[in-house]
Amino acid sequence: MLLLPKFDYYEPREMSEALKLMSKMKTSAKIIAGGTDVLVNMKKGLISPKSLVNVARISELSDVEPSNGTISIGSGLIVEKLTEFDIIKKKLPILFKAARVLGSPLVRNRATIGGNIVTARPAADLPPALLAVDAKLKLVGAKSSREVSLDKFFIGPGQTVIKPTEILSRIIIKELPPFTGGDYIKLGHRNALEIAIVAVASRITLDSPDGVIKEARIILSAVAPKAIHAVSAEKALKGEKPTAKLFEKVAKLAAGDCAPITDIRGGAEYRRAMVAALTKKTLMNALNEAKGK
Amino acid sequence: MKEFNVINSRVPRVDARAKVTGDARYTADLSMPNMLYGALLQSPHAHAKILNIDTSAAKKLIGVKEVVTAKEASPIKFGLSPARYDEMMFCMEKVRYVGDEIAAVAAVDPDTAMEAISLIKVDYEELPAYFNIFDAMKEGAMLIHDDYPGNINAEVHQEFGNVEEAFKQCDYIRTDKFVNKKQDGAFIEPQACLANYDMDGNLILYSSTQAPHYVQRILSMVLNVPIGKVRVVKPYVGGGFGPKASASTLELTACFLSMKTGRPVKMVFNREQVFMHSRARHQFFHELTTGVKKDGTLVALKNTCYLDGGAYSSFGIATIYYAGSLLGAPYKLPNMKYDGYRVCTNTPTCGAQRGHGGVAARAAWEQQLDIIAEELKMDPVEFRLKNIMQRGDVTCNDFNMSSLGMKECLEAVRDGSEWGKKKGKLPKGKGIGVACGFFVSGAGYPIYRSDTFHSTAMIKLSEDGGTADLYTASAEIGQGSDTILSMIAAEAMGIRYENVKIHSGDTDFGVDLGAYSSRQTLMSGHAVKMAGEDVKRQVLGVLSNTLKIPIEDMDIKDGFIIFKKGNVDFSGLRSYYIKEHRGWTDQPAGDKLTFKEAARIAYLEKGVVVGGGAYKPGELGGKYKGATVGTSPAYGCSAQVVEVTVDMETGKITVDNMTDAHDCGFAINRTNVEGQMQGSLSMGLGEALFEEVKFDPNGKVANATLGEYRIPTALDMPNVKTIIVESDEPNGPFGAKEVGEGAIMPTIPAILNAVYDAVGVRINELPITSERIFMALKDKEKK
Ligand SMILES: Cc1cc2nc3c(=O)[nH]c(=O)nc-3n(C[C@H](O)[C@H](O)[C@H](O)COP(=O)(O)OP(=O)(O)OC[C@H]3O[C@@H](n4cnc5c(N)ncnc54)[C@H](O)[C@@H]3O)c2cc1C
Repeated sequence: MLLLPKFDYYEPREMSEALKLMSKMKTSAKIIAGGTDVLVNMKKGLISPKSLVNVARISELSDVEPSNGTISIGSGLIVEKLTEFDIIKKKLPILFKAARVLGSPLVRNRATIGGNIVTARPAADLPPALLAVDAKLKLVGAKSSREVSLDKFFIGPGQTVIKPTEILSRIIIKELPPFTGGDYIKLGHRNALEIAIVAVASRITLDSPDGVIKEARIILSAVAPKAIHAVSAEKALKGEKPTAKLFEKVAKLAAGDCAPITDIRGGAEYRRAMVAALTKKTLMNALNEAKGK
Repeated sequence: MKEFNVINSRVPRVDARAKVTGDARYTADLSMPNMLYGALLQSPHAHAKILNIDTSAAKKLIGVKEVVTAKEASPIKFGLSPARYDEMMFCMEKVRYVGDEIAAVAAVDPDTAMEAISLIKVDYEELPAYFNIFDAMKEGAMLIHDDYPGNINAEVHQEFGNVEEAFKQCDYIRTDKFVNKKQDGAFIEPQACLANYDMDGNLILYSSTQAPHYVQRILSMVLNVPIGKVRVVKPYVGGGFGPKASASTLELTACFLSMKTGRPVKMVFNREQVFMHSRARHQFFHELTTGVKKDGTLVALKNTCYLDGGAYSSFGIATIYYAGSLLGAPYKLPNMKYDGYRVCTNTPTCGAQRGHGGVAARAAWEQQLDIIAEELKMDPVEFRLKNIMQRGDVTCNDFNMSSLGMKECLEAVRDGSEWGKKKGKLPKGKGIGVACGFFVSGAGYPIYRSDTFHSTAMIKLSEDGGTADLYTASAEIGQGSDTILSMIAAEAMGIRYENVKIHSGDTDFGVDLGAYSSRQTLMSGHAVKMAGEDVKRQVLGVLSNTLKIPIEDMDIKDGFIIFKKGNVDFSGLRSYYIKEHRGWTDQPAGDKLTFKEAARIAYLEKGVVVGGGAYKPGELGGKYKGATVGTSPAYGCSAQVVEVTVDMETGKITVDNMTDAHDCGFAINRTNVEGQMQGSLSMGLGEALFEEVKFDPNGKVANATLGEYRIPTALDMPNVKTIIVESDEPNGPFGAKEVGEGAIMPTIPAILNAVYDAVGVRINELPITSERIFMALKDKEKK
């Protein structure tokens, strides 16, 4: 039997109360949202916080707020809800797609978007999609708060720039310009409960329906200690007319932009080949979406 | 046309309510006053000498009540086949795999028990460890067991007909190799047990087991407690699939600790321990050579197999025989030769798992048959039909197909899948494949040599006549045997299903060899049917005396007495019954005499109305060495057609449709038969596409979680069309035979054949991951 160690438990209703608790207990406490990572890690003995502070009862953390040109998502929103809100489906379809393949229906009913970010697993499903749309995070402390670009958030597996006393309150995404399309594909063995062998999120913005690529982001996941940009592939797209041939070339560049390893989920050679295959597929789908097809 | 009131229907399972509401208590849910918790110390090394064990610190820990090692424990060896008892409760001189048991602790709570385990100090001297059979068989390799020279645990050599001569008559011969991977049973409920030894010397063990009878015998033998004082009770069990069909150190330890402390002791495996204990599917390395005539007639098969058995024998002696004997049929094949070698390695012990011993062989051969059909330019279905066995045929290794709806199954899946419209006509990336298979319907002999009955049953009527209590030691492990046996009892007595109350899974209720080798419907079913008929005879006997009507002129059906020769005046009987139950609100009424009234009369006459039944198979075929593995009173068979889509860019396989036909002789419960078919397909699909136990460089299981050992989820299951074929087995109760294991046989090869049809590559190694397909496609491109 895997046993949960003993801990103290707090369930604040207000953000201020949660922040007070965290600044008092610092590293001896951990925030818990859905608990689908924290409790598993505690059972495995990987972490043993003296206290857990549950943020699930803080109502302001679980809404979606569209306001002048941005979409602001509460960190406590459960993943299942991401797939239900119309505004996400319509304005951030790439996030909708990523949310739909996270875990299983059971897990999606507990897991939160904030937990999926802060946990910083190399193969987490939401960060690649959020990186592709250049999301910003609002980190709140007892005394001050700050906004950090998701691009600057991850350090390595399980490691981020968030301080133990800070709470991730919102994920903020600027509304995407017209003629933008994106796609997220996760390659796993099964149709549910899969940690990606490789996953790719691509997003392009055209200057006009038949124009050139103005902006491009390609995020590769499960091929490095954290989700990374396919740097040379992104560069090669900019200012070019989108064609199958271009995507083919870019897909090869993407494969060169990462250094996958062999582990129990897949071999390095296969992973590299899949980076190319998924880059091409996601770009094709992104293009169709950008053109409104 | 036979007519039945209960069987052949779709009545709900007897345990449905308890399971759906959470009312069902599994072993891990049980507790007793004053209970202690046990924990095991297991080896971190794959192969090492034990130099010293220091338990002093563990013993001093507050809350620890007992610490035991091989020094205190029984030195008696145990296992499954008496010819290969090679396990001890705790390792004496050395450990043979990561997870081998060294010591155990009983403490007041699980935390203390675990802490005490961490305080036991063991000094090891590491020995060379072998994680595959090739290293283990190398000249000069250190012996894992002194008794197995060359680390060969067992060898089998059989020949039926004359294979070399027969090959000379063949127009086409080909050889193929095939390998699968070690599996995990992946049942949802990890093994758990609770032992209580009382001051009168009675030992009770509650255990998550498939075979209470075998556990009882091993406990008695190793712990030296008379068998009459050992009682093994099986609560609800969350799946077994084979690995739970034998006694384990977990069970022995809980009992031993209870005997030492005089308190109940509970022990539960975590998921990693389930993987380390294993006893699941072996790894098989098959080399098959098959010879045919130009017209497609199968002539000869040579089968060589090396089995990676892991550290101990377990079920392996049966496995090695099955890996040979379950080929040949369901095709007419006059010549067959088999050479099998089971090799020990320093990995978890392999044993029996659904389709015991035959699944990899079947996958290898049915794929090869497809290659041969293509070579001969024959349709794979036609090729199989040409060679198909039928009812009454006997295999070259003397298996008597007393019923066999193989042809019907194959035709059913051909038509049910619209094979003719699809085969050879699907676009690239889409494919269709077919395969057949068969399996025993109960091992013909117990695992220990004996003339024992295989199943006994007893039915007792309640004094009001309203309920029949059925006592059987059979093991309901989720497969539905309680439902099947209740239905058989009801049908045999002529009463309603809801009036049977089953009590099962307890060695105090009789003898039953348990849930393995797909035996309970046929064997326990026979015993229950006999017991039911006995009760019926007794009730009718008393009624005959009372009413002065010959027994032959009466029958019982659907809970009523049938008077074959027209109406009988039973008003005296009825008023007697009503008088006896003054004040009751459920008095019998209507113009038919109820079973309840008749049974009450029988009770008033006899006091005890108990019927009994006992079954063992009659004379079975085969006089050669090893004939005891594979001979069975009956054989189930099945055919499947699978349709797949392969993503050419990633290699990912999607199974779109499965059409499955199974001959179960006669379906006692149609829903249950379909459930077993679906479950088999899901398990086969997992083994084909995902499942593989992996090891780190030190021999430790690297994916000992259900996150990284992937069994199919509901979302991975395609649409399944299930077709029940009923061939009316003469040796089965009401014509019934197995469905639990035979149904898995065609799944893997049907998928393999469909993948080939889709993308033109043959995969000889399981699982067929997307990576394996992708690499094979790349290789093909290069050529
Ligand atoms: C069976 C199973 C399958 C899974 N499958 C997937 C999968 O397919 N894809 C995937 O990406 N993940 C998967 N996961 C991982 C997990 O479900 C997700 O990462 C999930 O989004 C975590 O969210 P949570 O709310 O449960 O986080 P928690 O476990 O509550 O927290 C995770 C971490 O984030 C911190 N945290 C949470 N909220 C905040 C906040 N507001 N501010 C600061 N810190 C915070 C916690 O302290 C902790 O360190 C799976 C997990 C399980 C158990």
